[in-house]
Amino acid sequence: MDQFIEQIVTGLSIGSILLLVALGLSIIYGSMGIINLAHGEFVMLGAYAAWVFHTYLGLGLLASLIPIFLVVAAFGWVIERYVLSLLNNRPLDTILATWGVGIMLQQAVRLSVGSELRYVQLPPALSDSMDVFGIPVSSYRVFLFVVSIALFGATWLLMNRTPVGMKLRAIIQDRSVAASFGINAKRVYALTFAYGAGLAGLAGALVSPLKSVSPDMGTGYVVDAFMVVVLGGVQSLAGTVASAFILGELSGGIAFLQNDTVAKAIVLLAIVVLIRFRPEGLFTARVRA
Amino acid sequence: MPSNAPNSSRLQRLIAQLAPLLIVCAIVFALPVLLNNDFLLNKVARYLVLGILTVSLGLSWGFGGILNLGQAMSFGLGSYAMAMALKLKTVPVHTGASGLPDFMVWNNVQHLPWFWQPFRSLTFAIAAGLIVPALVAAALGWFMFRGRVTGVYVSIITLATMVVINLVIIDQQSYTGGFNGITDLAQLEIFGVAFDAYGRATYYLVACCVLLSLLVAFAFTKSKAGLIVQAIRDHESRVRYFGYDVALYQIFVFALSAAIAGLAGMLYTVVMEFASPTFLGVQLSLSVVVWCAVGGRQSLVGAFLGAVLVAGMQGALSESAAFLETWTLVMGALFVLVVLFLPKGLAGLAQVVLRWIVQRRQAAGRGVAQGVGQTEGST
Repeated sequence: MDQFIEQIVTGLSIGSILLLVALGLSIIYGSMGIINLAHGEFVMLGAYAAWVFHTYLGLGLLASLIPIFLVVAAFGWVIERYVLSLLNNRPLDTILATWGVGIMLQQAVRLSVGSELRYVQLPPALSDSMDVFGIPVSSYRVFLFVVSIALFGATWLLMNRTPVGMKLRAIIQDRSVAASFGINAKRVYALTFAYGAGLAGLAGALVSPLKSVSPDMGTGYVVDAFMVVVLGGVQSLAGTVASAFILGELSGGIAFLQNDTVAKAIVLLAIVVLIRFRPEGLFTARVRA
Repeated sequence: MPSNAPNSSRLQRLIAQLAPLLIVCAIVFALPVLLNNDFLLNKVARYLVLGILTVSLGLSWGFGGILNLGQAMSFGLGSYAMAMALKLKTVPVHTGASGLPDFMVWNNVQHLPWFWQPFRSLTFAIAAGLIVPALVAAALGWFMFRGRVTGVYVSIITLATMVVINLVIIDQQSYTGGFNGITDLAQLEIFGVAFDAYGRATYYLVACCVLLSLLVAFAFTKSKAGLIVQAIRDHESRVRYFGYDVALYQIFVFALSAAIAGLAGMLYTVVMEFASPTFLGVQLSLSVVVWCAVGGRQSLVGAFLGAVLVAGMQGALSESAAFLETWTLVMGALFVLVVLFLPKGLAGLAQVVLRWIVQRRQAAGRGVAQGVGQTEGST
């Protein structure tokens, strides 16, 4: 029984990290139709930003979260403005362009900071462990879980309860009609992309104490996060949450029964089959056409 | 007699289209005369093989509109087919007791597994190197295109499938050599000719395959099936309304491209003298996409040259780590620029330049004939 609960908790922990990374990707893909292969590099930038703030400015991780969000969002804004907005009518080419941008970011970090592993300290207040259903769990993992849910809530509010979110939803439904009502689609797209990038940066900063920070750390995340988005369904934030935790539990569970490699292979195969038979994802919100 | 006129102009056009292909192949064949260095020749052969791989992607991506992010899967399968056969040909010292490959001995495997048995025959291995990738691709194509999966989802499925196969190969260490791949291979020997990786014979073998695969790909693009495939790329549902079985044509071009990639994979094993899971890794697979995009996805020769030039440049700079890092950065920037401003790659640029030159000439010629327009000619 204890083992079972432990397994569930591990799954939740994996799931919350997946959700953190996938949230930004989901917004960008769902609203702009852009598969952002540079997303992993935004995660990496966030982690490096945490390291820089800590090493050079002496800021703790929690204190530097907001500046990190802003810095990475600024990167995202620039990239949308000067690269992606030129590719409006070529969705397949955005994969290539974002991948190229990702390579550039990775190399730029490698050249400027070096490719050694870097480490970010756990916030001292969260370095102990607490009891969850009688199982000792690191407080930081509980904190990650809470933060990922909170960020999801904030994003949902932003999309559904603010003027910017309303404009974005209008553009998703029909860009030209929205534009004729005076909505500046270019600006909203740039803001959306910046927001998604900022979220990725936050995710990177938040996972940095758990994993070592390196220039190519993002590559693994982007694949997993993408699977979350595909499974959850485009344009469905709630689906993203559900699929993040499903995938977290699944990979935790299969890894426990078999091994990590088999877990990864089975999850990938399951997603291939899913795309074939339900390309709209498991939990699709019906968009009024 | 008059019916001959359109025919000859068609022939002329065909020759004009074939010309760049033949010129490039002539250069490839002439290179050993100029380059008297076996080590360099081996390197060039390697880039040529990557060129063939890129041509195969150009066929499915540029002409079929199928962006296969898992093109290296077919390449890797071909490479392993060749490596398995060459491994079984090595002298028993390297292969343990009773001809068992060394890594199997280390992993306590007692008998040669059934799927290794037929690879004692080189003919079977070469056939498998072409047919297995084609069959896997056909099955995957059937799975995708019958379900009308298009665009981005094709890319995701192909990438994910390749990653799964890669994981399985790494995981099944006792049968595949795992992370280390299959090393310590015998030399390929066909009809008494030994193909030493650093010898001329290997180079010419690769060069012949370059010519062959470019010609096959070219013939396909000019065939009726090839035209329909291009029509599907441009407007899928229109072709479907004409009554064509769209999925069938897509599956065919997908499998053909996989077979060519398999051929490239087999050659790669011969040139590199080993097979490794990196041959079907994400890194290589995405690099192929870059080469293809830079060279020109809708031009076979362009894709080929893109791979040879970019991979060659990378190889030349890899002597120094700092250079290589900077080069990768430049490469990323170049790639983004090409995607943004040259969707047809360098081949597209060459076409534009050529057309511009021809037009200027014609304009100049007309100007001289009419005795006016000297000003246009001079500016």
